[in-house]
Amino acid sequence: MSKLVNLTIDDKKISAPEGANLLQVAKDNGMAIPHLCYHKKLSPTGACRLCIVKIKGQRGLLASCAVQVSEGMEVTAFDDELEEARKYLLDYLLCEHDESYDGSHPDEFRELIFRYGLDKKENRLFPSIWKELGYPKDESSPVLSYDAAKCIKCFRCIKACDEVQGKNVLSFTNRGIISYIVGGFDKWGESECDGCGECIQLCPTGAIVEKPHRSEIKIENGICRVRTTCPYCGVGCQLELMVRNGKIVRSNGVEGVSPNDGRLCVKGRFGYDYVQHPDRLTTPLIKKDGKFVEASWDEALDLVARKFTEIKETYGRKALAGYASAKTTNEDNYLFMKLVRTVFGNNNVDYCTRLCHASTVTAMLRSLGDGAGSNSIEDYAHSDCMLVTGNNMIETHPVTATYVKYAVQRHGSKIIIIDPRWTPLVKDAHIWLQPRLGTDVALLNGMIRVIISEGLIKKDFIEKRVDGGMKAFESLKALAEKYTPEYVEEVTGVAAPLMEEAARIYAGAERPLIATGMGCSQQVTGTHNVFCLINMMLITGQIGRPGAGLNPPRGQNNVQGVSDVGASPFTYPGYISVEDAENRRRVAGIWGLPFGELDGEKGLSTVEIMQAAYEREIRGMYIMGENPMLTDPNLNHTEEAIKKLEFLVVQDIFHTETTPFADVILPATAFAESEGTYVNSDRRVLRVRKAVDPPGQARQDWEIIAEIAKRMGKPLGNYQHESDIWDEIAQTAPIFAGISYDRLEYHGIQWPCPAKGHPGTATLFEERFNTPNGLGKLHPVEYAGQSEKADKDYPFILNTGRILYQYHSSTMSRRNKSLTDFANEAYVLMHPGDALKYGFSDGQKVHIASRRGEISNIRVQISDGVLQGELFMPFHYSEAPVNRLTRDELDPYSKIAPFKLSAVRVGR
Amino acid sequence: MSIEEIIKQFEPVQHNLLNILHALQDRHPQNCLTEQALDETARYLKLTKSSVYGVAKYYTMFSLEPRGRYIIRLCVSPVCELLKANQIMAVLEKNLGIRAGETTSDGLFTLELSECLGQCQEAPSMMVNNEVYNGLGEEEVQRVLVRMRRRKKK
Ligand code: SF4
Ligand code: SF4
Ligand code: FES
Ligand code: FES
Repeated sequence: MSKLVNLTIDDKKISAPEGANLLQVAKDNGMAIPHLCYHKKLSPTGACRLCIVKIKGQRGLLASCAVQVSEGMEVTAFDDELEEARKYLLDYLLCEHDESYDGSHPDEFRELIFRYGLDKKENRLFPSIWKELGYPKDESSPVLSYDAAKCIKCFRCIKACDEVQGKNVLSFTNRGIISYIVGGFDKWGESECDGCGECIQLCPTGAIVEKPHRSEIKIENGICRVRTTCPYCGVGCQLELMVRNGKIVRSNGVEGVSPNDGRLCVKGRFGYDYVQHPDRLTTPLIKKDGKFVEASWDEALDLVARKFTEIKETYGRKALAGYASAKTTNEDNYLFMKLVRTVFGNNNVDYCTRLCHASTVTAMLRSLGDGAGSNSIEDYAHSDCMLVTGNNMIETHPVTATYVKYAVQRHGSKIIIIDPRWTPLVKDAHIWLQPRLGTDVALLNGMIRVIISEGLIKKDFIEKRVDGGMKAFESLKALAEKYTPEYVEEVTGVAAPLMEEAARIYAGAERPLIATGMGCSQQVTGTHNVFCLINMMLITGQIGRPGAGLNPPRGQNNVQGVSDVGASPFTYPGYISVEDAENRRRVAGIWGLPFGELDGEKGLSTVEIMQAAYEREIRGMYIMGENPMLTDPNLNHTEEAIKKLEFLVVQDIFHTETTPFADVILPATAFAESEGTYVNSDRRVLRVRKAVDPPGQARQDWEIIAEIAKRMGKPLGNYQHESDIWDEIAQTAPIFAGISYDRLEYHGIQWPCPAKGHPGTATLFEERFNTPNGLGKLHPVEYAGQSEKADKDYPFILNTGRILYQYHSSTMSRRNKSLTDFANEAYVLMHPGDALKYGFSDGQKVHIASRRGEISNIRVQISDGVLQGELFMPFHYSEAPVNRLTRDELDPYSKIAPFKLSAVRVGR
Repeated sequence: MSIEEIIKQFEPVQHNLLNILHALQDRHPQNCLTEQALDETARYLKLTKSSVYGVAKYYTMFSLEPRGRYIIRLCVSPVCELLKANQIMAVLEKNLGIRAGETTSDGLFTLELSECLGQCQEAPSMMVNNEVYNGLGEEEVQRVLVRMRRRKKK
């Protein structure tokens, strides 16, 4: 922290950090100096001049937004002359401004007009001329409108897009009085704008306003605001929902709190309409003679309880299993897990993490003792080297990416990308390594070899913090020996000098962060890939400080939390092994159960559960908020497995690809109808709050779960409110021990938080790793070729992934017009060389087949963003279910499935 | 030369933006920048569309509208104004049959107004493409126009 200096503003004594922005200091001390172009998040522009002050010893009127405070400064913020000048400036601005106001947006300019009495025409000097200036309106964007007549040319929008979001989509056209803001070639809708809405949020006048629901919004009346957490990805952005007449009409980022400081992406800002979509499930449904008929809750719950009980009695307690949900709250998932363990009586509970990050978590747990991101999201803003591997951050974690771009633009930090496919972050990258699909281990071992042979290791870190010290290192060194730059180039296709430079930059950086992603984890060698990253990180000592570490951004809003609260076949709440009898005894005590009732044998994982269903070992299943019929690998097999179940309960907010197979469908609440908490990618426990009532009879997941348990004769507990469940979570999971709802009122807390007074932990592993002996562990691993290979019949290797505007199985995202307006069609990316070779053209419809299945009617998009011989498809679209093509051959360590690599052929 | 070929004569560094835009406009038969030209420039220099557009709109020497082969820029800044630039304007308008900002139907001339051309000592002044004409009078103007028309025929 910089030193404090003393100054006075209008005789008030103030102390502030030296060099702080004078306008901000005044603001923070309750002095409302008028201003329009300044915003805390942006560099000062000095355009509006309203913030003028006088400073003793300096001549003239100075824009306070451009002044840094220093010791002894004497400032006059308000006197007659200054106020007169401000009024004059406002008056002048007003004459070129359309002052009509529809009440649908905040308007700082209008407030000032009133404050200075300029709403009365007789107080004005200048006649209104805006009508003669011919200002245009731009309505071409699907999500926002721009009205140049309401624009005061403060440039906050341009800077919001550039400095905060790192996109620089906006500019201004013409000069002087007739200039205005443009996106693209004066057509916002055809620009690079991706609809994040940062510019809307920072525009002070309502020149840029959201389109959806605009006519329904009257800011000053009948609006209530509810702060909650975004339901989409694992960044966990804090948002404020505006609700009118029981309907969500707008979403804004909450300024000044982590992790997002007001930023959102297009999904967080415009993706809420699914909540109030007519397709929502509103009543329990029971399948009778192949058709779903509406039922009462009692009827449905009794049936579920009876069937599960029958299955348990007939086939034994191992015949039941559950899929928890990364979309619902910790409280919901905790009770779900408790139901499986105490009512079903086994550990067959898992969820989609097995499909995404299980390999990362497995490797991290084995090497470092914790499976979660080691740093804070904001750390990216100050990192000097970011190694981004298999992580299409700009599209999948757009708000995290804003910090990454910030570091590049502000501090000249370097991004190293490892990805077979072009992603938008490549534009900002210093180096892009483009290895062939599935060759990461070879590439990373090659980098490790460079680091070792150039003497870039940190010996004392290895000695102090790595298990086995230099001896363990020697075995890694021996293994890495054969990964010479030439060999690695041959295997991966990455030019040796590039790989070498990347290794040097990473090893030499002061605060390097690794951001892994699905590209790294969703492979048969997923765990090995992450082991290699950890090996490289440990021998260079690049972990255990703020800004240095390994961070797997979580795909869904609560992937992190669901594991944390123990919805896993292997671990209890707080990552304590199922097999740890001591812990089971402790938890049994908390749950008030006899110790013997808790199964001490590991349960089945996501894909194993399906395989067991196929073998008829699992007979009954409870699926909460997951859609395995679109997201599981090798869908044809999944379908057969699900069909073999005797009884399937699906609890969701919409019909999905999975619900047709259910015997009972239970309607649950969406995020905006729920109370509880999520945990985001940087281990931050964040509150989720109810903003609107659920449709029809839909109920919050935990209430449904508790009812089923009760009806099966084993009530889970007496919970009046979600906070009661949380308090029990805090008791069972030591990492949450110090967290309670009252502490989460204004901001999240990062676990571990072992005690009430503990502030939470921003950076993991500063002193020790969380392994039993506190040391990090190296796991040298060899590169092995893939079993799935391209051949004559299946000449392409297909990669899958996500796009910005859609989300997961798109059950939610596709029910938002704003999002589908941006993107709503499946495609397959193909290299121009391949298109030429096989005679495909852009826009042509093709079908794609693998050794397991086939999909058709997919539009070809020709792009040099993929390598020759490789294809890419997004997996969001149910009409193009790419998982009919993928494999369920699992990574032996983490049981993750290799979504990223399937051999396919393409046909007309 | 195609747009791509013109652009590729320059290094892909952002400070070449103005040079590239000039080259593109000069090579265009209608003396203007097309959307395609801006788009390819943006991609080549890794700029967003609007930052290229903003520059093209900011400088009056660029035009996004098709223009004549000869661009006549008549100075209307104070000194020229004082020395009856408006009379010259009238001559031009009459002879060409267009007003400022327009292009003749044969696509030969575009008439534009300009800020000070830095020729005040010999005002009034105008430019035709890159050539400067000073101390203008009615006859001088007529002569220039005839010369230009003849040049076209050749
Ligand atoms: S919505 Fe986002 S991307 Fe689009 S112009 Fe505004 S800030 Fe830029
Ligand atoms: S649109 Fe809004 S933020 Fe942008 S310059 Fe105009 S008034 Fe300022
Ligand atoms: S706020 Fe300082 S000049 Fe606009
Ligand atoms: S005023 Fe016309 S050339 Fe200077």
